Amino acid sequence: MFAFTKESEEKIETILAKYPEERKMSALLPFLTLTQRQEGWVSPEAMVEIGKRLDVSPAYVQSVCSFYTMYFQYPAGKYIIRFCHNISCYLNGSDSLLDYLSKKLNVEVGGTTDDKKFSLIKEECLAECSAAPVMRVNDDYHVNLTKESIDKIIDSLK
Amino acid sequence: MEKETVTLTIDGKTATVPKGTNVVDAAKSVGIEIPIFCYHEKMLRLGCCRMCLVEVEKMPKLMTACTIDATEGMVVKNDTPKVVKGRQGVLEFTLLNHPLDCPVCDKGGECPLQDNTFNYGAGDTRMEFKRFNNVKKKELSPVITLDRERCIACQRCTTYSEVIEGDQALVMHNRGFHNDIGTFNDQPYDTRFSGNVVDICPVGALTNSIFRFQARTWDLDNAKTLCAHCGCNCNIEFGARENELMRVVSRQNDAVDDGWICDKGRFGYEFVSSKNRILEPGIRKDGEMNVASLDEACDETVSKLKTIIEEHGPKSVGFIGSPFASNEELYLYQKLMRLGVGTNNIDHKSYDDTPGLPVAHYDFTDIESSDLTVLIASDPTEELPILDLRIKKAVTRLNRNLIVLNDQKTLMDKYASLSLRYNVGSDGVALAGLAGAIADSLKQGEAPKVEKLEKTTGIKPNSFKDFAEKMIAAKKVCVIYNPAALTGNSVAIVKNLLSVLNQKPEGECGAIPAAPATNALGAMDMGILPDFYPGGVSLSDDSKIKEVWGESAPTEKGFTTCEMFEKAASGDLKALVVFRSNPIVDFPGGDKIEEALKKVEFLVAHDMLHTETTALAHVVIPSVGPGFDEGTTTNIGGRVQYRRKGLKAESFPDWRVLAKLLSGFEIEAKYLDSFTVTAELAKKVSGYEEIRRGSIQKEGKTRPAQASVNGKTPEVTSPDSIDGFKLRVSEKLFAKDKILESESALAHHFSEPKAILNSVDAKKLGIKSGDRVKVSSGNRGLSVEAEVEDSCNPGAVVVSNAGDEYRVLALIQDHNATVQVSKE
Repeated sequence: MFAFTKESEEKIETILAKYPEERKMSALLPFLTLTQRQEGWVSPEAMVEIGKRLDVSPAYVQSVCSFYTMYFQYPAGKYIIRFCHNISCYLNGSDSLLDYLSKKLNVEVGGTTDDKKFSLIKEECLAECSAAPVMRVNDDYHVNLTKESIDKIIDSLK
Repeated sequence: MEKETVTLTIDGKTATVPKGTNVVDAAKSVGIEIPIFCYHEKMLRLGCCRMCLVEVEKMPKLMTACTIDATEGMVVKNDTPKVVKGRQGVLEFTLLNHPLDCPVCDKGGECPLQDNTFNYGAGDTRMEFKRFNNVKKKELSPVITLDRERCIACQRCTTYSEVIEGDQALVMHNRGFHNDIGTFNDQPYDTRFSGNVVDICPVGALTNSIFRFQARTWDLDNAKTLCAHCGCNCNIEFGARENELMRVVSRQNDAVDDGWICDKGRFGYEFVSSKNRILEPGIRKDGEMNVASLDEACDETVSKLKTIIEEHGPKSVGFIGSPFASNEELYLYQKLMRLGVGTNNIDHKSYDDTPGLPVAHYDFTDIESSDLTVLIASDPTEELPILDLRIKKAVTRLNRNLIVLNDQKTLMDKYASLSLRYNVGSDGVALAGLAGAIADSLKQGEAPKVEKLEKTTGIKPNSFKDFAEKMIAAKKVCVIYNPAALTGNSVAIVKNLLSVLNQKPEGECGAIPAAPATNALGAMDMGILPDFYPGGVSLSDDSKIKEVWGESAPTEKGFTTCEMFEKAASGDLKALVVFRSNPIVDFPGGDKIEEALKKVEFLVAHDMLHTETTALAHVVIPSVGPGFDEGTTTNIGGRVQYRRKGLKAESFPDWRVLAKLLSGFEIEAKYLDSFTVTAELAKKVSGYEEIRRGSIQKEGKTRPAQASVNGKTPEVTSPDSIDGFKLRVSEKLFAKDKILESESALAHHFSEPKAILNSVDAKKLGIKSGDRVKVSSGNRGLSVEAEVEDSCNPGAVVVSNAGDEYRVLALIQDHNATVQVSKE
């Protein structure tokens, strides 16, 4: 069963205050973000709950959720690694680094490790070309990556 | 009120259109076609398919004609090289991944994508790679199949689901390259109106699962006919091939259906080939039913009736008509009974109703122009689905107001700005209370006196006042009431309420009597009533009756259905003719009716399907019924339309059966087709003078409203206090009755009946949702699942009429509909 935590409920109040009552469906993206922060993913039960709160159908919530690739509709790992493979990073060797990371974590690109700790995702441009290659772990950017720095970063994640 | 107009030029032609019209519709009005996929005149403008590109002077780029409003002096060009190239580009793009399976596609031959490609597309594609493959058969529901390869992502269906149905059930997932039409978590898309997406899909992506791969559209014989399921009488096209029904599609009539039909109208026509159909006439001899010819069956009927009339007088014969039959059939039957047999024992219903209204008789389009719609005791979602869509349209898109007075919760409450719920059985008092509140506010008009208003109805006097004030404040008020859901003399009180409301100093008001049956209004107009001749002529109007129907026309009040069954039980009613009606199941208190019918000396059943009633009959005559029959029906808005036949029947149409019976009674009956009956009826029935073949084409013709005859203020009787619960039987659109059998394509909608209890009562009885309970009265008991929901006020239980086998109406054994509810 899905329920918003007490902290989330407090945030919901702030979110809803930003929109007029008859336009509260505009709060859908903040709600989805909030849910993903709380649960790590957006479950169908959560979509039903969000639909009820915002007077939209769960189908509509799902359609919006599925448009944004950064929302997960399946349980993802504790650490979401988004690895850039766009032009600047690619020229700086991101493909071999991604291969290295994938072997290191023993997980396919796009998959989640068996211990549910890491999800490895290939991402389009992360807007940090000046410091390519780049990856993002949850909310943190890691730039100028090398095999050594990747080892360090992964080892530091508990 | 004159609407503001604008004048624009399209390809050199000048068009003057109301302000707010888009360029596509403006072009249409002067006969210029702008190709479209995503735009639909009844829905939002999306501008997502880009097919309707046009050049507009002073605008630098090509514009989508569906999203721009026509403005004064606008110059639109539809055929410049730039436009042609733009459209070719759009189509090339649309067709990138569209499969070339037109030869097997259901849409082939009536496909906008085919047509637009033919008219506006390039001759070839520059695409060198293989097309994207995708799922060819995704079942959205048991009746709708999606071919994902064919979808061009125009979003018409998802817009329909959001705007027209209003429940956002069908959505676009993964918008972008992987877009996919679907529902939440792949649940079935099984709403009441889901089939319309098949009609509006501009490609063959959404298909009718039953019609899929069955026939080519150009091979169909399409009959432009009417749906025969409910009182809306939506326009449909009945597509048959080699005399077999293939599919039903909607046929737009803005005055009735607005272009939509419900799923029962689309998929609920399997009864035309049901195994349960009566194909041959039968005569019972020594308890055995023997096949007979139609002549033999009619001769037997005539001679037996004549013998009984001779021995016991015409009052010993009765007729129960059908609110589902056509005007012509009903007209001839009442003629047979009144002039042939000589009796007024004619009726078609189990509730009280009288013809005529003290106010204007409103039509569907009036709902849209009314500032306020008042819904009384009606559940359009289950009873009259298109009325449901009409009201939703008025409320959600035209900013009209809806207020509801009902004894049970309905899906319409969601759209109402005020919704009052009276105690089950207190409808008379509630309506009188409302009429009183209106009279008080207006300081004129006379309403029936009521005592203990709040205690009896469960509604506070102040709420009545608010309700009344809303009705008075609105400029145009449309009152929709369901006479079949009212008890006692409440219909008379509704009419009193209407005449009180009619005295308001400003604005106008009208009403729609919304009985659910197909031709309930027509049956009233055709005089299938014990106390009224056709055209609402009261028995007291002796001179008019004699003038139209001759000196021998009976003017003594006949028996109502209830009285007929009582008289049959006591042995006073010797013969009964039942026409397309199954009172044992469809009337309250079926067991007593069954006993009564067993006692009738001579029972004639003229019906389409075998029923509990035909099983008891001495003579059975087949009625061809919808699909095979032809004739006019009158919808709840008073609109008379023509129901064409879509299939050839092997047996005789009903009007020919009736001509035989009439001749048997020495009444001239030289009818050539159903229209000759219509012509006679137009002469005899006031209000139908203008009804003839020519006048009811296209949109049909609204018959003028009949004036109501009861002038006296009716009396109100408070409901008795009872020991037990009051039973409220709620209607179900997809009930498992004889029309929708277990093999029906709509069987997935069937459910067992539920007993919906108020939380107060449930607590007292210790019942939780999901418990099994027994609802019983007398020797009848029904074991059902309980649902605790405040659908009705305490003291009553709502049970849905989910199918014939449950015999829910047999639980009503007294006029209070008292039942006992106990946990099992």
